[in-house]
Amino acid sequence: MEVLKGIDLRIDEGELVSIMGSSGSGKSTLLNILGILDSYNEGDYRLNGVSMSGLSEKQAANYRSRFLGFVFQSFNLINFKTALENVALPLYYQKVPRSKRNQIALEYLKKVGLEEWKDHLPSEMSGGQKQRVAIARSLITQPKVILADEPTGALDTKTSYEVMDVLKQVNAEGITVVIVTHENDIADMTDRIIRLKDGRIESTGRPSEIAQDAHV
Amino acid sequence: MFDIDKWSEIFATMIKNPLRTFLTGLSVGLGIFILVVMQGLGFGLQNGVMKEFNDDAINSLWIRRGSTSIPYAGMKANRRIEYENSDLDMIRNLFGGEDTYSARVSLWNANVKYKGQAQNFGVRSVHPGHQELEKTVLKEGRYINENDIRDERKVAVVGQTILDDLFRGNPALNEYIEIAGVNFKVIGTFSDPNGRWENRQIYLPISTGQKIFGRNDKVDMFILSTSDRPLDETIEMSEKIEAVLKDRHRVHPDDTRAIWVRNNNEEFGMFLDIFKGIEVFIWGIGFFTLFAGMIGVANIMAIVVKERTKEIGIRKALGAPPGTIISQIIQEATFLTFVSGCIGLVCGIGILSVLADNLEHDFFSNPRVSPWISMGALGLLMVVGIFAGLIPAVRAARINPVEALRDE
Repeated sequence: MEVLKGIDLRIDEGELVSIMGSSGSGKSTLLNILGILDSYNEGDYRLNGVSMSGLSEKQAANYRSRFLGFVFQSFNLINFKTALENVALPLYYQKVPRSKRNQIALEYLKKVGLEEWKDHLPSEMSGGQKQRVAIARSLITQPKVILADEPTGALDTKTSYEVMDVLKQVNAEGITVVIVTHENDIADMTDRIIRLKDGRIESTGRPSEIAQDAHV
Repeated sequence: MFDIDKWSEIFATMIKNPLRTFLTGLSVGLGIFILVVMQGLGFGLQNGVMKEFNDDAINSLWIRRGSTSIPYAGMKANRRIEYENSDLDMIRNLFGGEDTYSARVSLWNANVKYKGQAQNFGVRSVHPGHQELEKTVLKEGRYINENDIRDERKVAVVGQTILDDLFRGNPALNEYIEIAGVNFKVIGTFSDPNGRWENRQIYLPISTGQKIFGRNDKVDMFILSTSDRPLDETIEMSEKIEAVLKDRHRVHPDDTRAIWVRNNNEEFGMFLDIFKGIEVFIWGIGFFTLFAGMIGVANIMAIVVKERTKEIGIRKALGAPPGTIISQIIQEATFLTFVSGCIGLVCGIGILSVLADNLEHDFFSNPRVSPWISMGALGLLMVVGIFAGLIPAVRAARINPVEALRDE
């Protein structure tokens, strides 16, 4: 099934963009392609100037590990690992020694304000805390891009804003952040909104412009 | 190749999923345990029966007597058959006279005295060949010989029970014991590890026994070796002996109660068949236990991997190469099956050795299990567990992380 029907998009380093669209518009598929989690039939996707066409599973894993960090709506923490272990896990796959990666993981937990929660299991934390752990985990490999799929979808407004603050802070450090969302107030906090409809880019622009268009 | 980090990741995963670990371990451990115990018990049964049989020479015919049940040749039924020395000579000569033989005159309970002590023991008067036919193993001294018989010597070979009860551990060789008022010199002693009954016997020369107990030339039974003849020839022998004895003692040809010829060859053949049956039974149980264990392991491995689909998806999204995921699952499965299999093995062998010490029955002895069988079973379960885990693991590693992460 053809989901995306010609997407011409460039996201510059250090941007904070949001992708919006109704369900079925292709926004998740686009994010998966950006995350090298899904493949495409036509065209080309260049990440940091390198084509991502025809990669083997192993190469894809390598690029994901080096360039990308993921944040999911349902957090996707490993439930039998503590907050610290979850944050440290990506470094395990980069063969960083245990004590070193736990030390780094602690720094990132500090960064999201969850230092005290390092030994807690995900089941013992609130949604906002879990998402912050997930963000810390996505950051630990020092990726170029953070891809967030509905990062606030499972959170209340107040917590959503807290999470967005963390993501903006991440962006302020120079990391590109791509957020898929259907919430206007979340999209409004980004620098650029890309609206998808039926697999095509409907509009792209600054939040204020788009918002005005949407209300016409 | 030992990667501490990898193993600590594996241990952490196992320890933090105790139920899963326990169930997988249980199915493997239990499979091995049941296999080992069943095999051990089966072999114990086999050993027991075999040992029971080993008491007498296998290649022998045991010719006993009874009473007639059919009137014949002008004589009423219920006539007790009386064998004589000449019967034995005749039977021996039928087959060339070369085979080991013995007649036997038995007294179930004879009063035996030694230094004022008196007790009852069994007394058997026999030929020298009896030693081989009854598999009597001498402790000291010698057995009855031809000279003893020719000279009607008053000599005796005594069993372990007599040594224990009458001599109370004191040296018995060359001592004199009194049997039915006659003094006998102890020329030999024996101990039969398998025969409590056998150990309370005293052996005398046949000629002396017949004289002292007033049996003249009468004997109770004969034993004749079949040497190394094949089974069908021994059956012919026993049939011929039966026919000849019936003829000599005027027994109706259809009378089955007067002349008894037991062919140990034939009985042994029957036992061999039983052993084969037991063995098939043991292997059958082993096979099905193993099969059940294999299915259990395969099942649990498949479920475990299914249950971990989401975790695998997360790990992939975090940059885990597919190989790492597969090897982690496989190493986990290998380690778990090996450890739990070993526990099952040790428990099984433990139970068997406890049984071996406490359950010494006539038909049950030395339960054991071949180390090769148990190791082989363990290896097989491990291989099955690994393969059962491998297929879903490969599939899981190939799965698109997006799909895996949607899996709730």
